[in-house]
Amino acid sequence: MILSPSAIVMLIFGCVVLYGGLVYFLYRALKSKEKSKP
Amino acid sequence: MAAVGSAVGLGNVWRFPYICYENGGGAFLIPYFVALFTAGIPLMILELSVGHWARGSPPDAFKKIGKKWEWAGWWTVLIPFVVAAYYTVVMSWCFSYMIYSIDIRWGIQAEQFFLKSFLGITSNPTIIGGFRLPVLLGLIAVWLCVFLILYKGVKRIGKVVALTVPIPTILLIILTIRGLTLPGAMEGISYYLTPNFTRLLDVNVWIAAYAQVFFSLSLAQGIMITYASFLRKKSDITNNAFIIALADAGTSFLAGFTVFSVVGYLAMSQGIGINDLGIGGPNLTFITYPTAISLLPFAASFFGIIFYIALLTFGIDSAFSMIEPITDSINKKWKITKAKATGIICLLGFISSLIFTTGSGLHWLDLLDHFIANFGLVIIGLVECIILGWMFHLYRLREHANKTSEIKLGRWWDFLIKYAIPSVLIILLLVAIVDNLLHPYNGYPWWVILMGGVTPCVIIFLLSLLLMKIKGKEEKI
Repeated sequence: MILSPSAIVMLIFGCVVLYGGLVYFLYRALKSKEKSKP
Repeated sequence: MAAVGSAVGLGNVWRFPYICYENGGGAFLIPYFVALFTAGIPLMILELSVGHWARGSPPDAFKKIGKKWEWAGWWTVLIPFVVAAYYTVVMSWCFSYMIYSIDIRWGIQAEQFFLKSFLGITSNPTIIGGFRLPVLLGLIAVWLCVFLILYKGVKRIGKVVALTVPIPTILLIILTIRGLTLPGAMEGISYYLTPNFTRLLDVNVWIAAYAQVFFSLSLAQGIMITYASFLRKKSDITNNAFIIALADAGTSFLAGFTVFSVVGYLAMSQGIGINDLGIGGPNLTFITYPTAISLLPFAASFFGIIFYIALLTFGIDSAFSMIEPITDSINKKWKITKAKATGIICLLGFISSLIFTTGSGLHWLDLLDHFIANFGLVIIGLVECIILGWMFHLYRLREHANKTSEIKLGRWWDFLIKYAIPSVLIILLLVAIVDNLLHPYNGYPWWVILMGGVTPCVIIFLLSLLLMKIKGKEEKI
């Protein structure tokens, strides 16, 4: 069985927004931690 | 890290999949994402800002906003205490299943084993049934564990969660891979991801989505306020809020794949549709995960034991985050030592949990969870928005968050807290209350609903007023 187009859209949306977003904000946190090091 | 540990818990791997299944799979995901971004993240920023600004327990924080609002702080810390009463029972199920994994005791009949052999479930909540020894023993172990971790204070939590957050996630990924390779898995995934737009008109789906976001993100429970009070002064509040919320939602989304792939397999193996499986409710994950474990091609026992240890570690972070706010509040108001306050609360929690270890426990657990999450948490979320948005200068909290955060909050955030979130929550609550009055939950008798669902919510509210009135040690002087 192949997923319907709306299911594929939901899958892509979930992965990009949740995991992409998480990676982005973790990257920001690490970057600012490095900056704050003396 | 502790806040991530609190947010990521059984709410993601146990509650999210069954709430999603009950509310139509893909039909639930759209309201869930809407609730996450319109209420979950803005409220997370709000709670972290309040805790970071006030630097105190939730009752102290609300007292700082206005002396008459202290009760709201007590209300927020009492709710997770009640949640902990049944949450620890789910953990005790995990504890028993960890032992049962040694010989995969559920065999090929995971559902029958869970409901009949393990829980000895009675036909309705009015028939209490006896105590279930494995559940009771597991419960004692869980409460003991919570006490031992907490009695020395919040510092120990950081060390525990450094291990208890990443390990379960890795194991969840392994089970997801196994689930996805089962025959029929794609049917389940299709059910999970395909939105059914007609269900979007059902207000119960929306309130379940908001309740799930509140439950899972530990919002409206004083937990984030408490943790934020321990954050460093220069901590980036907004970035932290996004990390916590996305880590939490990401774990839920992943758990959905594990559970629904097995749901698809179960439907295919029985030759019926997914909607006809009839395995919804809190027991869903105790049918799907064991099935996935027993179908692993090798080392099923090993993975089973590790997986339930992982679930326990997932749960333990959240369990002590539910107890920490109330013990911290008691400790600060009445200067009772942390160890003593933790001991009293854990003992009271254990006694409150006992009803869920009986044969009727699953019925009561389902009922209490429905009312506490759908009404208790949503009402407190609304009260928080009203008090902080309307009875306080909200811009001060925004400015406080902006001082330490790289991403600056604009007036849009004020608009969400003051107007958008309260409006949505009020509409949802009113419609849900009417709906619950017209259609009693699960068809239970009215007195059962009043006793198991409404009364705890009312008692918590009255108790919060009482706790505000009792003078603290400093106030007496």
